[in-house]
Amino acid sequence: MSAYAALVPLLIIVGGAIFILLLEAFWKPASKTPLAALALLAAAGCGAACARLWSRGASAFGGMLRLDDLALAFTVIFLVAVAFTILIALKYLPRQNADFGEFYGLLLLALSGLMVMVSSPNLIVVLLGLEILSVSSYALAGLKRDDDRATEAAIKYFLMGSFASAFLIFGLALLYGAARSLEMPAVAASFAGPSGDSLLGLAGLVLVIIGFGFKIALVPFHMWTPDVYQGAPTPVTAFFAVGPKAAGFAVLFKLVAPVGDQAFRSAKIQVVLGIVAGLTMLVASLTALRQKNIKRLLAYSGIANAGYLLVAVLSGDGVGLMFFLAVYLFMSFGAFGALIAMSRAGEEFHDLDDFAGIGAKYPWLGALFAVFLISLAGFPPLGGFLAKYYIFAAAVHKGLTPLVLIGLLASLISAYYYLRIVVFMYMREPVRNIELDLDVPAVYLVLFLCLYGVLQLGLFPGRILVFLKQALASLVL
Amino acid sequence: MVIIVFFALAVICTGAVLGMIFSRNQATSALLLVLAFAALGGLFGLLGAPFLAVVQVIIYAGAIMVLFIFVIMMINMGQGIAPEKKKGIIVLACAMAIVLLIELVFAGRGSLPGAGVTGPGVTPTDLGRLLFTTYAYPFELTSVLILAALVGAIALVKKREP
Repeated sequence: MSAYAALVPLLIIVGGAIFILLLEAFWKPASKTPLAALALLAAAGCGAACARLWSRGASAFGGMLRLDDLALAFTVIFLVAVAFTILIALKYLPRQNADFGEFYGLLLLALSGLMVMVSSPNLIVVLLGLEILSVSSYALAGLKRDDDRATEAAIKYFLMGSFASAFLIFGLALLYGAARSLEMPAVAASFAGPSGDSLLGLAGLVLVIIGFGFKIALVPFHMWTPDVYQGAPTPVTAFFAVGPKAAGFAVLFKLVAPVGDQAFRSAKIQVVLGIVAGLTMLVASLTALRQKNIKRLLAYSGIANAGYLLVAVLSGDGVGLMFFLAVYLFMSFGAFGALIAMSRAGEEFHDLDDFAGIGAKYPWLGALFAVFLISLAGFPPLGGFLAKYYIFAAAVHKGLTPLVLIGLLASLISAYYYLRIVVFMYMREPVRNIELDLDVPAVYLVLFLCLYGVLQLGLFPGRILVFLKQALASLVL
Repeated sequence: MVIIVFFALAVICTGAVLGMIFSRNQATSALLLVLAFAALGGLFGLLGAPFLAVVQVIIYAGAIMVLFIFVIMMINMGQGIAPEKKKGIIVLACAMAIVLLIELVFAGRGSLPGAGVTGPGVTPTDLGRLLFTTYAYPFELTSVLILAALVGAIALVKKREP
């Protein structure tokens, strides 16, 4: 029974994707709303299947597919992200002349890639999941085909992504040579063994980290991020900011946290990752200061947040990592949802100047956007504050005080560029007259759900923390 | 008998590669490379690696070279490398050749770590059994990956419905 039970969530998503693609090919509906509804239904069905498996777990294919509580918790994060993406895309795609039914099929395929990544201890399977995700993402980024920026984004993402995959595969080959297995526990054990400190394994691990560093946009490998985020359709950008990042960090955590625990290992890998984390937080925050385009600014903010998450990985703080991701899911989709609302047919307003006077003209939109920005900046009582607090507290506990100081500095800098948008919305006179088409109930639904999430996680995080602790207890180190 | 086949294949392979380098027409070069790959596949077969031989022919001579030829025909690069760049390329090629020579010497003496270790022969049957038992899950996932790639490519280039 359990073999099929473990496959059910994945089968629902892939089956849903294929069904949507067939409908798009043969039925050719004029309005794509039924396809979006189907995609939402598939996500809901998958969520129900996951809920049934919670705290029981299931595995198939000799352990290559293992749905433990950690994988299920991450799957729920992905499902919420995809549902939000579909909702904010409903009106956006027809307005921006990119209303393809394939969008929903590709989105579900990307989701299946994310689920595969977090539900296997085998690195070959993780790599395949990552490739499914990446290949769907390249196409999603270029979906606005008449737009030069979107084409640039898709090509850049494709080339950089392929390059990163090459690093990753080369690293896996070396790791296999060192550990004679690609199961994560075996890889970690090979580092703990007497001959563990081999150059081969170390080189492999570094190459794997470089590969993932590209995909989750850590600083020396982040150059593609702003361009891709800016060029891709905004709902897709919102998905990129959350989905791949969460999955990448899930794998990185499972791979590096046990390795980092060994006292002899911490010296080398910890130092390298620590430098990367510090650079990521600082460089991203400083570059964000000069951004005039809000989409690019949010891209740099996403990179800076990856830096905080890396601090959580370094201190082995799984609960803090997952809590941050959950909060980030709501903050990020809230901010991108507000960006989506800043549009009308064929036009989007993403310049800082466009936001001048929005707070007075569209009070609801302005207030909601301001809340998400303040949460991103990390002010209490919103979720963003607690998320950063947990990560930094755990890091200080582990003796990573220099990194925490850099993180606090980066947070201070980030407060400036987030609050500058709020200042523009409420205290500046409009530069030009902007007429928004705010007949977007689905976007408002997402905005209010995100508001609820940010407040709930900021004020009453207890229940979700219990939940996350149970999920992490299932991780076999 | 085997030695005759080996030398025939080796001569075809080397000759095809030389022809590829000296040919002025890119399409001819590509086709000669196909010939070289096919001969190389034969050599793998002689070494007792039938699966590698078949894969070499199917993937390199089949899929990848077809892609090369498509690109050559579509892009149609008129002239070759500019003469001022040629010098640098020749120097680089010589350096690479020397590195390759050193590697070959080391490999020939068997002094590279791990070199000369041969496992039990792997037949296509073994590989097939592995693919459909231990690695059934990754194998099936590959089909999802290919589906995603197909759909993505079509979504990016298909004609707009009026």
